[in-house]
Amino acid sequence: MENARDSRVRVMVWAGVVAALTLGFAIVPFLTDNLSFMFYMMLWIIMASAFNFVAGLAGYMPFGYVAFYGVGAYATGILYKTLEFPIPLALIGAGLTGATVGLLLAPTLRLRGVYFGIVSLALAMAAKLTISLMPADLTGGSLGLILSSANDPLAAYYAMFVVLLLLLATATWLSMSRTGTALRAIRDDQEAAAVVGVNVVSTRMKAWISAAVFPALVGGVEAWYTNAIDLESSFNLLITAKSIVYAMAGGLGYLVGPILGSGLLYGVDQLIWRQFPTLNLLLLGVIIVLLMLMLPRGIVGAFAQRFSKLRKYIP
Amino acid sequence: MLRIEGLRKNFGGLKALDGLDFEVPPRSILGVLGMNGSGKTTMLNCINGVYIASSGSIQLDGKELTGLKPAQIFDRGVGRTFQVPRVFSRMTLWDNLAVPLLSRSMTRAERDEIRATWLKKVHLFDLRHNYAEELSGGQQKLLELARIMVSRPKLVLLDEPFAGVNPTLSRLLIDVIRDMPGETGCSVVLVSHDLTSIYELSHDIIVMHEGRILARGDAETVQSNPDVVEAYLGA
Ligand SMILES: Nc1ncnc2c1ncn2[C@@H]1O[C@H](COP(=O)(O)OP(=O)(O)OP(=O)(O)O)[C@@H](O)[C@H]1O
Ligand SMILES: [Mg+2]
Repeated sequence: MENARDSRVRVMVWAGVVAALTLGFAIVPFLTDNLSFMFYMMLWIIMASAFNFVAGLAGYMPFGYVAFYGVGAYATGILYKTLEFPIPLALIGAGLTGATVGLLLAPTLRLRGVYFGIVSLALAMAAKLTISLMPADLTGGSLGLILSSANDPLAAYYAMFVVLLLLLATATWLSMSRTGTALRAIRDDQEAAAVVGVNVVSTRMKAWISAAVFPALVGGVEAWYTNAIDLESSFNLLITAKSIVYAMAGGLGYLVGPILGSGLLYGVDQLIWRQFPTLNLLLLGVIIVLLMLMLPRGIVGAFAQRFSKLRKYIP
Repeated sequence: MLRIEGLRKNFGGLKALDGLDFEVPPRSILGVLGMNGSGKTTMLNCINGVYIASSGSIQLDGKELTGLKPAQIFDRGVGRTFQVPRVFSRMTLWDNLAVPLLSRSMTRAERDEIRATWLKKVHLFDLRHNYAEELSGGQQKLLELARIMVSRPKLVLLDEPFAGVNPTLSRLLIDVIRDMPGETGCSVVLVSHDLTSIYELSHDIIVMHEGRILARGDAETVQSNPDVVEAYLGA
């Protein structure tokens, strides 16, 4: 049937995107001495895409998204320094910690809209406070943790690469399976979805936990890459803000949206940063405002609206 | 098929449903009339689990539905549409019809076939790649009907299916609803203000007033009931 062909084309487009990302990020270390740019590009692609799981697919706006990132960073640091786990195990521990925090916060999914967003923000602050109250010999107190003994940027780069591959696999599963269809239905009308048999609670839990694990992993890998963990940078609200902005600029609800948004905006961000160090935040802010005003559904969303015949091919 | 006994629903002090008793036989259409606020939508919400009834019993083929969640009641074979259409607005029509089939074990070919059949029946097949939000309000009502019918429900609850639908689409809708019991074996509870279509389609009619049943019977009985004339038709 015609529809089967359409979805095959969409799957092929997505497979192309996955192949390009995999190949590109796999060979970069051989082409450049400056890993950092590509490392952070991967970081933002993962952060924005995982944000899309919960915002674009399930319809929740977790303003406290950074909490998972911060908790992941600290879990990695504590497991490595205090409990002397090898880094790979510490990172797995970070992912599990993210999942656990996600489970603990799951009851907040009963709230909707702005109420959920505000509670999520408050809980992120609570998470930061909790860590600041933990014994200093565990968390390093106000100085934070230094992981210099683990220093290995190239290995950290490839760890981020593995997280990216996991993310792409999860994105494929969440979006193209029955779970993806159910999630979109919940996003559009939770009650109507329940009335046609969707198990709302268990379906959105899958998206929620996925959206918790990835920032935790990313926080852990970034800590390893920079060798430093401290409260202010691990729980910096800009991390949430950038994840939201990159994902929305690309287009929430599409798998390729956050990827495109992160790639473009992070590039622009770096460019502005280098050219106009003092005006950096102001210029970025202006660009974001313009984007939101002109393309409220993001680049991919606007494309889908303009070329409605093609949108069935957009993953 | 459906048997309701002593159904009550209170909102605080308000008795939205004040003791309903009725039955819907297999393969039949029950028309429900009643003024604004008489409790029609509340009754449908109780049947499919959106509201929890304050008391009373709702049985489908002898099995109690009260206390089950909407998704579980859907799995028992109860489908419903909403007074204000609630389609999945940012999904295509084709994907809208995929949602009720997620929990059904069907082959892909079966799923595609029943979706195509119902989209054609409601004249929306050519728009299947459009987003549901791009449909008119009337078309969204048709989509909602198709969305519930692809799951082959035993009992279909329709809340004001004709409201906001233009006469041509209304005609189409009437024909589709009339054929549903014969074609799919389902029963229908049809809530509507549209007297003509209720009289034309219903095998049996109840008239609700302030959460109670004011009159019941076939079209003639109901039309000639003095209470109904005074409370409803005269209004
Ligand atoms: N969630 C609710 N909370 C409080 N009161 C409610 C709620 N839902 C319905 N009601 C009240 O219950 C009564 C019956 O409402 P219902 O929507 O069932 O009427 P209806 O017969 O469907 O009316 P209409 O023809 O306007 O659709 C009304 O007085 C309404 O205000
Ligand atoms: Mg109503």
